[in-house]
Amino acid sequence: MNDDTRLHDDELREVAQRLGARAAERLDVERTAQAVVTRLRTEPRADVRVLGWIQPVWLRIAALLVLAAGAGVIARSLLHKPPEATALAAPAGAELSELSADQLRQVLEAVGQPGGEHETESSQDVSLDDLSAPQLRALLEALEG
Amino acid sequence: MTRPEPVAAVPTDAALIAAWRGGDEPAAAELVRRHARALARFLAGAGALTADVDDLVQETFIRAFRGLGRFRGQCQFRTWLMTIGGNVLKDAHRRSRRSRLVPLGDDLRATDGDPHERAVAGEAERRLAAGLERLPRMQREVFLLRAQQGIEYDDIAAALGTTPGAARVHYHHAVRRLKEHMQ
Repeated sequence: MNDDTRLHDDELREVAQRLGARAAERLDVERTAQAVVTRLRTEPRADVRVLGWIQPVWLRIAALLVLAAGAGVIARSLLHKPPEATALAAPAGAELSELSADQLRQVLEAVGQPGGEHETESSQDVSLDDLSAPQLRALLEALEG
Repeated sequence: MTRPEPVAAVPTDAALIAAWRGGDEPAAAELVRRHARALARFLAGAGALTADVDDLVQETFIRAFRGLGRFRGQCQFRTWLMTIGGNVLKDAHRRSRRSRLVPLGDDLRATDGDPHERAVAGEAERRLAAGLERLPRMQREVFLLRAQQGIEYDDIAAALGTTPGAARVHYHHAVRRLKEHMQ
C-alpha cells in the first residue's frame, strides 16, 4: 500500500464528522423540543412503565399459585375419598324428623339394602310349618293368582 | 450616558438540568435545542435510518430527562445523552430488526459542490458507515464520540463506565478496522 491510498487518521476523522450531517440538518430542532416537552408532560412516567412491566409478572405468579392450590385440592380429594357410608352417617345420625324426603330415601336405601339381602336369605330358610294361618292364606291366594 | 445592557448569561447545562428538575419546562426545551443536532449526527453515524432520527432523538431526550437521577455530573450532559442514544438505537434495532442501508440513503446524497468531489465524499462516507456497522458497539461508540463529536477520552470513559486507557484502546482498534475496511 502506498501513501496515495493510505487513509490517514485526519481524513478518517473528517469523514466521520460529515457522517450524519444531513440527518442533523433535516431535524426540526424547535419542533423536537416542543414534542419532547409535551411528551414529558403528558405521557406516563417511566416508573409507571415499570409497574406495567411488573404487573404481568405478579399475575403469572398469582396464576401459578391458583393452579398449585387447585391441584392440591384435587389431589387431596382423590387420596382421601370418604366412603359412602360416612356420607350417610350424618343424616342417619340426625333426628329423622329433621330430614327431608330425599335424605330419608337415601337413609332407607342404605339401611334397607343389607337388610333386604338378609331378609331374602331368611325367607329361604322358612318352612310352611313356621307360617301362621293368615300367612298361609295369603300364600295360597298368591299361588292361585 | 446610558449604561450598557448586561449580557444575558448563557445558562450552563447543569443550571438547565437543575431548573428542569424544579419543574421548569423551558429549561428542558433549551437542553433539547442545545444538543439535538449533535445527537442526531451521532445516531445517524451509529446506524440510525434518516427517517427514524427524529423519533430516536425524541426518545433519547425523554429517557434522559426521566433518568436524570442517575446523572451525577460524572461526564458532560451531551456525552451522557449520547450513551443513552446508543441504548435507544439498540432497542430500536432489536424491535425492527432492520439494518441500516446507508449507501442509498438520502443522508449521503449531497447536492452542492463538484459532482466528482461529491461522489468521492459520498463514497467515503458510505464505506465508513458500512465499516462502523461491523464494529462492536463499544468500539463504534467510542470512535464516534471521539472522532465525530470531539469528546475527550476522560469524558468518554466516564460516560461508558470504563477507563480512559480502555477507551483509547477501543478507539485505536476501531480506527485500524475502519481503515482496513475502507482501503
